Amino acid sequence: MGTAARSVLVLAGLAILVAGAYVSFAQAGSGAQPWDPELSDNFVFMRVLPFVLGLGAVVGLFRAGGWKGTVRRGEEIRRFSLGTVIGHWIAAVGFLLALPTGLWQYLGGILDVHLDLPLYLIYRLHYIGAAIILFSVANFAAYWWSSGDRSLWPPRGEWRRHLAGFALEVPAPLGARLAAWLRLDLDTRPQAQRFTFYETAFSFPTWTFALALITVTGLLKAMRYIYPIPGPVLYWASTLHVAAMVLLTLKVLDHLRYTLARWPLMVAMTRGWISEGALRRMLDTTSRPGPRQAEPTLPAGTPAGVARGSER
Amino acid sequence: MIAYLFITNAFVAKTAIKEGLPAQAALLLGGALIAVFAVALAWQSLQILRVPGASGG
Repeated sequence: MGTAARSVLVLAGLAILVAGAYVSFAQAGSGAQPWDPELSDNFVFMRVLPFVLGLGAVVGLFRAGGWKGTVRRGEEIRRFSLGTVIGHWIAAVGFLLALPTGLWQYLGGILDVHLDLPLYLIYRLHYIGAAIILFSVANFAAYWWSSGDRSLWPPRGEWRRHLAGFALEVPAPLGARLAAWLRLDLDTRPQAQRFTFYETAFSFPTWTFALALITVTGLLKAMRYIYPIPGPVLYWASTLHVAAMVLLTLKVLDHLRYTLARWPLMVAMTRGWISEGALRRMLDTTSRPGPRQAEPTLPAGTPAGVARGSER
Repeated sequence: MIAYLFITNAFVAKTAIKEGLPAQAALLLGGALIAVFAVALAWQSLQILRVPGASGG
Protein backbone atom coordinates (compact mmCIF):
# COMPACT_ATOMS: atom_id res chain seq x y z
CA MET A 1 0.00 0.00 0.00
CA GLY A 2 1.40 3.39 -1.00
CA THR A 3 2.08 6.29 1.34
CA ALA A 4 -0.88 8.26 -0.05
CA ALA A 5 -3.33 5.40 0.53
CA ARG A 6 -2.00 4.85 4.04
CA SER A 7 -2.28 8.58 4.78
CA VAL A 8 -5.89 8.55 3.62
CA LEU A 9 -6.54 5.62 5.96
CA VAL A 10 -5.14 7.57 8.93
CA LEU A 11 -7.09 10.72 7.99
CA ALA A 12 -10.28 8.65 7.70
CA GLY A 13 -9.61 7.15 11.16
CA LEU A 14 -9.05 10.63 12.57
CA ALA A 15 -12.21 12.00 10.94
CA ILE A 16 -14.30 9.10 12.26
CA LEU A 17 -12.86 9.64 15.75
CA VAL A 18 -13.72 13.36 15.63
CA ALA A 19 -17.26 12.62 14.43
CA GLY A 20 -17.76 9.92 17.08
CA ALA A 21 -16.37 12.15 19.83
CA TYR A 22 -18.55 15.06 18.69
CA VAL A 23 -21.73 12.96 18.88
CA SER A 24 -20.78 11.55 22.31
CA PHE A 25 -19.90 14.95 23.79
CA ALA A 26 -22.99 16.56 22.24
CA GLN A 27 -25.24 13.95 23.84
CA ALA A 28 -23.51 14.23 27.23
CA GLY A 29 -23.61 18.04 27.13
CA SER A 30 -27.17 18.41 25.83
CA GLY A 31 -28.64 18.73 29.31
CA ALA A 32 -31.23 16.10 28.43
CA GLN A 33 -29.43 13.26 30.25
CA PRO A 34 -29.89 12.61 33.98
CA TRP A 35 -26.22 11.62 34.43
CA ASP A 36 -23.89 13.06 37.06
CA PRO A 37 -20.47 14.23 35.80
CA GLU A 38 -18.78 10.91 36.71
CA LEU A 39 -21.30 8.76 34.87
CA SER A 40 -21.36 11.19 31.97
CA ASP A 41 -17.56 10.89 31.61
CA ASN A 42 -17.86 7.12 31.76
CA PHE A 43 -20.35 7.08 28.89
CA VAL A 44 -18.26 9.46 26.80
CA PHE A 45 -15.16 7.33 27.45
CA MET A 46 -16.87 4.08 26.47
CA ARG A 47 -18.45 5.55 23.35
CA VAL A 48 -15.27 7.20 22.11
CA LEU A 49 -13.10 4.16 22.85
CA PRO A 50 -13.87 2.12 19.68
CA PHE A 51 -12.85 5.11 17.58
CA VAL A 52 -9.66 5.62 19.62
CA LEU A 53 -8.76 1.95 19.12
CA GLY A 54 -9.56 2.26 15.41
CA LEU A 55 -7.33 5.29 15.03
CA GLY A 56 -4.53 3.49 16.88
CA ALA A 57 -4.88 0.51 14.53
CA VAL A 58 -4.73 2.59 11.34
CA VAL A 59 -1.74 4.56 12.64
CA GLY A 60 -0.02 1.22 13.35
CA LEU A 61 -0.84 0.00 9.83
CA PHE A 62 0.45 3.30 8.40
CA ARG A 63 3.76 2.82 10.22
CA ALA A 64 4.06 -0.84 9.24
CA GLY A 65 3.74 0.12 5.55
CA GLY A 66 6.91 2.19 5.86
CA TRP A 67 8.84 -0.52 7.72
CA LYS A 68 12.40 -0.80 6.31
CA GLY A 69 14.17 -3.33 8.52
CA THR A 70 17.85 -2.66 9.14
CA VAL A 71 18.98 0.93 8.62
CA ARG A 72 22.53 2.19 9.09
CA ARG A 73 24.03 5.71 8.95
CA GLY A 74 27.82 5.65 9.20
CA GLU A 75 28.77 4.44 12.66
CA GLU A 76 25.19 4.72 13.88
CA ILE A 77 22.34 2.29 13.49
CA ARG A 78 18.65 2.98 13.78
CA ARG A 79 17.33 1.34 16.95
CA PHE A 80 13.84 2.85 16.86
CA SER A 81 11.83 4.33 14.00
CA LEU A 82 10.41 7.85 14.36
CA GLY A 83 6.92 6.35 14.80
CA THR A 84 8.16 4.15 17.65
CA VAL A 85 9.85 7.09 19.37
CA ILE A 86 6.70 9.21 19.13
CA GLY A 87 4.50 6.24 20.11
CA HIS A 88 6.68 5.51 23.15
CA TRP A 89 6.39 9.07 24.48
CA ILE A 90 2.65 9.21 23.76
CA ALA A 91 2.30 6.04 25.86
CA ALA A 92 4.50 7.65 28.55
CA VAL A 93 2.07 10.61 28.72
CA GLY A 94 -0.78 8.09 29.09
CA PHE A 95 1.03 6.41 31.99
CA LEU A 96 1.77 9.79 33.61
CA LEU A 97 -1.96 10.54 33.62
CA ALA A 98 -3.44 7.11 34.31
CA LEU A 99 -1.10 5.66 36.96
CA PRO A 100 -1.12 8.47 39.58
CA THR A 101 -4.88 9.02 39.19
CA GLY A 102 -5.51 5.25 39.44
CA LEU A 103 -3.35 5.05 42.56
CA TRP A 104 -5.17 8.04 44.01
CA GLN A 105 -8.60 6.50 43.40
CA TYR A 106 -7.50 3.24 45.00
CA LEU A 107 -5.68 4.71 47.99
CA GLY A 108 -8.36 7.39 48.44
CA GLY A 109 -10.92 4.63 48.80
CA ILE A 110 -8.77 2.59 51.19
CA LEU A 111 -7.82 5.60 53.34
CA ASP A 112 -11.20 7.30 53.00
CA VAL A 113 -9.41 10.56 52.21
CA HIS A 114 -10.76 13.06 49.71
CA LEU A 115 -9.27 16.10 48.00
CA ASP A 116 -11.08 19.40 47.65
CA LEU A 117 -11.01 18.58 43.95
CA PRO A 118 -14.19 16.74 42.85
CA LEU A 119 -13.58 13.01 42.34
CA TYR A 120 -14.99 13.06 38.81
CA LEU A 121 -12.04 15.23 37.71
CA ILE A 122 -9.61 12.53 38.91
CA TYR A 123 -11.67 9.96 36.98
CA ARG A 124 -11.69 12.24 33.93
CA LEU A 125 -7.88 12.43 33.93
CA HIS A 126 -7.76 8.67 34.43
CA TYR A 127 -10.01 8.12 31.42
CA ILE A 128 -7.91 10.47 29.27
CA GLY A 129 -4.73 8.61 30.29
CA ALA A 130 -6.42 5.24 29.69
CA ALA A 131 -7.60 6.36 26.22
CA ILE A 132 -4.03 7.40 25.33
CA ILE A 133 -2.67 4.03 26.54
CA LEU A 134 -5.35 2.13 24.60
CA PHE A 135 -4.49 4.14 21.48
CA SER A 136 -0.85 3.12 21.99
CA VAL A 137 -1.75 -0.54 22.55
CA ALA A 138 -3.75 -0.62 19.30
CA ASN A 139 -1.02 1.30 17.47
CA PHE A 140 1.84 -1.03 18.47
CA ALA A 141 -0.24 -4.22 18.16
CA ALA A 142 -1.23 -3.33 14.58
CA TYR A 143 2.33 -2.26 13.75
CA TRP A 144 3.96 -5.45 15.00
CA TRP A 145 1.25 -7.68 13.54
CA SER A 146 1.44 -6.06 10.11
CA SER A 147 5.22 -5.53 9.85
CA GLY A 148 6.06 -8.99 11.17
CA ASP A 149 8.75 -7.48 13.42
CA ARG A 150 9.20 -9.86 16.37
CA SER A 151 12.63 -8.67 17.49
CA LEU A 152 11.47 -7.99 21.05
CA TRP A 153 10.34 -11.59 21.55
CA PRO A 154 12.55 -14.67 21.70
CA PRO A 155 12.16 -16.50 18.36
CA ARG A 156 10.22 -19.76 18.39
CA GLY A 157 12.22 -22.57 20.02
CA GLU A 158 14.73 -20.15 21.55
CA TRP A 159 13.08 -19.35 24.87
CA ARG A 160 15.55 -21.50 26.84
CA ARG A 161 18.53 -19.78 25.22
CA HIS A 162 17.10 -16.36 26.01
CA LEU A 163 16.24 -17.38 29.58
CA ALA A 164 19.82 -18.67 30.01
CA GLY A 165 21.10 -15.31 28.74
CA PHE A 166 18.75 -13.55 31.12
CA ALA A 167 20.03 -15.67 34.03
CA LEU A 168 23.56 -14.51 33.16
CA GLU A 169 22.49 -10.85 33.11
CA VAL A 170 20.87 -10.73 36.55
CA PRO A 171 22.93 -10.87 39.82
CA ALA A 172 24.71 -14.23 40.13
CA PRO A 173 22.76 -15.68 43.11
CA LEU A 174 19.43 -14.89 41.45
CA GLY A 175 20.64 -16.16 38.08
CA ALA A 176 21.91 -19.44 39.58
CA ARG A 177 18.61 -20.00 41.36
CA LEU A 178 16.64 -19.28 38.20
CA ALA A 179 18.89 -21.61 36.19
CA ALA A 180 18.50 -24.41 38.74
CA TRP A 181 14.74 -23.96 38.82
CA LEU A 182 14.33 -23.95 35.02
CA ARG A 183 17.26 -26.37 34.41
CA LEU A 184 19.06 -23.90 32.15
CA ASP A 185 22.52 -24.48 30.75
CA LEU A 186 24.73 -21.56 31.81
CA ASP A 187 27.99 -23.09 30.55
CA THR A 188 27.44 -21.82 27.04
CA ARG A 189 27.10 -18.08 27.08
CA PRO A 190 24.50 -16.99 24.51
CA GLN A 191 25.25 -13.90 22.46
CA ALA A 192 22.74 -11.06 22.56
CA GLN A 193 21.73 -9.64 19.20
CA ARG A 194 19.69 -6.46 18.97
CA PHE A 195 18.38 -6.43 22.50
CA THR A 196 19.65 -7.72 25.81
CA PHE A 197 18.22 -10.99 27.10
CA TYR A 198 16.78 -9.03 30.00
CA GLU A 199 14.65 -7.17 27.44
CA THR A 200 13.60 -10.17 25.33
CA ALA A 201 13.14 -12.85 28.01
CA PHE A 202 11.81 -10.73 30.85
CA SER A 203 11.05 -7.05 30.29
CA PHE A 204 8.96 -7.11 27.13
CA PRO A 205 6.92 -10.23 28.01
CA THR A 206 6.04 -8.75 31.41
CA TRP A 207 5.10 -5.40 29.81
CA THR A 208 2.83 -7.31 27.43
CA PHE A 209 1.22 -9.29 30.25
CA ALA A 210 0.66 -6.24 32.47
CA LEU A 211 -0.74 -4.13 29.62
CA ALA A 212 -3.04 -6.93 28.46
CA LEU A 213 -4.29 -7.44 32.02
CA ILE A 214 -4.95 -3.75 32.69
CA THR A 215 -6.62 -3.33 29.29
CA VAL A 216 -9.05 -6.24 29.66
CA THR A 217 -9.91 -5.55 33.30
CA GLY A 218 -10.19 -1.80 32.70
CA LEU A 219 -12.58 -2.32 29.79
CA LEU A 220 -14.73 -4.68 31.88
CA LYS A 221 -14.88 -2.12 34.69
CA ALA A 222 -15.62 0.81 32.39
CA MET A 223 -18.37 -0.94 30.43
CA ARG A 224 -20.39 -1.96 33.50
CA TYR A 225 -22.87 0.90 33.08
CA ILE A 226 -23.62 0.22 29.43
CA TYR A 227 -23.63 -3.59 29.62
CA PRO A 228 -24.60 -5.80 32.58
CA ILE A 229 -21.43 -7.40 33.96
CA PRO A 230 -21.98 -10.22 36.48
CA GLY A 231 -20.97 -9.27 40.05
CA PRO A 232 -18.21 -11.87 40.50
CA VAL A 233 -16.68 -10.94 37.12
CA LEU A 234 -16.70 -7.29 38.12
CA TYR A 235 -15.18 -8.10 41.51
CA TRP A 236 -12.27 -10.00 39.94
CA ALA A 237 -11.87 -7.41 37.19
CA SER A 238 -11.51 -4.69 39.86
CA THR A 239 -9.09 -6.77 41.94
CA LEU A 240 -6.94 -7.69 38.94
CA HIS A 241 -7.06 -4.11 37.66
CA VAL A 242 -5.45 -2.97 40.92
CA ALA A 243 -2.92 -5.84 40.69
CA ALA A 244 -2.07 -4.78 37.13
CA MET A 245 -1.72 -1.17 38.33
CA VAL A 246 0.82 -2.24 40.97
CA LEU A 247 2.60 -4.39 38.39
CA LEU A 248 2.81 -1.45 35.96
CA THR A 249 4.11 0.80 38.75
CA LEU A 250 6.87 -1.78 39.33
CA LYS A 251 7.51 -1.97 35.59
CA VAL A 252 7.87 1.81 35.28
CA LEU A 253 10.30 1.92 38.24
CA ASP A 254 12.31 -1.00 36.83
CA HIS A 255 12.24 0.45 33.30
CA LEU A 256 13.67 3.74 34.60
CA ARG A 257 16.33 1.91 36.66
CA TYR A 258 17.41 -0.16 33.65
CA THR A 259 17.44 2.56 31.01
CA LEU A 260 18.97 5.31 33.19
CA ALA A 261 21.88 2.95 33.81
CA ARG A 262 22.22 2.49 30.04
CA TRP A 263 22.01 6.08 28.90
CA PRO A 264 22.55 5.37 25.15
CA LEU A 265 19.23 3.49 25.22
CA MET A 266 17.51 6.57 26.64
CA VAL A 267 19.12 8.76 23.96
CA ALA A 268 18.05 6.25 21.29
CA MET A 269 14.46 6.60 22.48
CA THR A 270 14.61 10.31 21.67
CA ARG A 271 16.80 10.34 18.55
CA GLY A 272 16.01 6.87 17.21
CA TRP A 273 19.72 6.29 16.49
CA ILE A 274 22.42 4.65 18.58
CA SER A 275 26.15 4.39 18.12
CA GLU A 276 27.10 0.82 17.22
CA GLY A 277 30.07 0.99 19.58
CA ALA A 278 27.89 2.12 22.49
CA LEU A 279 25.40 -0.65 21.79
CA ARG A 280 28.14 -3.29 21.63
CA ARG A 281 29.71 -2.02 24.88
CA MET A 282 26.31 -2.18 26.53
CA LEU A 283 25.62 -5.73 25.33
CA ASP A 284 29.14 -6.71 26.34
CA THR A 285 28.94 -5.43 29.90
CA THR A 286 25.35 -6.40 30.67
CA SER A 287 26.10 -10.13 30.73
CA ARG A 288 28.60 -11.95 32.95
CA PRO A 289 30.44 -15.14 31.93
CA GLY A 290 28.95 -18.52 32.79
CA PRO A 291 30.36 -20.68 35.60
CA ARG A 292 33.00 -22.35 33.41
CA GLN A 293 33.83 -19.42 31.15
CA ALA A 294 36.79 -17.11 31.64
CA GLU A 295 36.40 -14.81 28.64
CA PRO A 296 34.06 -11.96 29.56
CA THR A 297 33.82 -10.17 26.22
CA LEU A 298 31.93 -10.79 23.03
CA PRO A 299 33.99 -11.88 20.01
CA ALA A 300 35.59 -8.76 18.56
CA GLY A 301 34.95 -9.67 14.97
CA THR A 302 31.17 -9.76 15.07
CA PRO A 303 29.99 -6.20 14.64
CA ALA A 304 27.12 -6.79 12.26
CA GLY A 305 25.73 -9.72 14.22
CA VAL A 306 25.86 -7.86 17.48
CA ALA A 307 24.46 -4.58 16.39
CA ARG A 308 21.94 -4.86 13.64
CA GLY A 309 19.55 -1.97 13.38
CA SER A 310 15.92 -2.26 14.32
CA GLU A 311 12.80 -0.52 13.18
CA ARG A 312 10.57 -1.63 15.99
CA MET B 1 5.33 7.43 49.96
CA ILE B 2 3.06 5.08 47.99
CA ALA B 3 4.87 2.05 49.42
CA TYR B 4 4.47 3.48 52.94
CA LEU B 5 0.72 4.02 52.42
CA PHE B 6 0.31 0.49 51.05
CA ILE B 7 2.24 -1.14 53.90
CA THR B 8 0.76 0.80 56.81
CA ASN B 9 -2.77 0.45 55.50
CA ALA B 10 -2.35 -3.31 55.22
CA PHE B 11 -2.67 -3.22 59.02
CA VAL B 12 -4.96 -0.27 59.75
CA ALA B 13 -7.28 0.35 56.79
CA LYS B 14 -10.87 -0.60 57.64
CA THR B 15 -11.70 -1.63 54.07
CA ALA B 16 -8.77 -4.05 53.90
CA ILE B 17 -9.53 -5.49 57.36
CA LYS B 18 -13.16 -5.98 56.34
CA GLU B 19 -12.11 -7.79 53.14
CA GLY B 20 -9.87 -10.12 55.11
CA LEU B 21 -6.35 -11.46 55.19
CA PRO B 22 -5.83 -11.86 51.41
CA ALA B 23 -6.59 -8.15 50.83
CA GLN B 24 -4.24 -7.15 53.66
CA ALA B 25 -1.51 -9.49 52.38
CA ALA B 26 -1.91 -8.10 48.85
CA LEU B 27 -1.47 -4.54 50.14
CA LEU B 28 1.58 -5.58 52.16
CA LEU B 29 3.17 -7.45 49.24
CA GLY B 30 2.40 -4.63 46.77
CA GLY B 31 3.85 -2.03 49.14
CA ALA B 32 6.97 -4.09 49.81
CA LEU B 33 7.60 -4.65 46.10
CA ILE B 34 7.10 -0.97 45.28
CA ALA B 35 9.56 -0.10 48.08
CA VAL B 36 12.19 -2.54 46.76
CA PHE B 37 11.92 -1.28 43.18
CA ALA B 38 11.89 2.37 44.29
CA VAL B 39 15.04 1.83 46.39
CA ALA B 40 16.72 0.07 43.44
CA LEU B 41 15.91 3.06 41.20
CA ALA B 42 17.11 5.57 43.82
CA TRP B 43 20.35 3.59 44.30
CA GLN B 44 20.93 3.45 40.54
CA SER B 45 20.30 7.18 40.23
CA LEU B 46 22.80 7.90 43.03
CA GLN B 47 25.39 5.70 41.31
CA ILE B 48 24.97 7.71 38.11
CA LEU B 49 25.38 10.98 39.99
CA ARG B 50 28.41 9.75 41.96
CA VAL B 51 30.32 7.92 39.21
CA PRO B 52 30.56 9.77 35.89
CA GLY B 53 30.07 7.31 33.05
CA ALA B 54 28.17 4.80 35.20
CA SER B 55 25.28 5.09 32.80
CA GLY B 56 27.26 3.54 29.98
CA GLY B 57 27.26 6.69 27.85
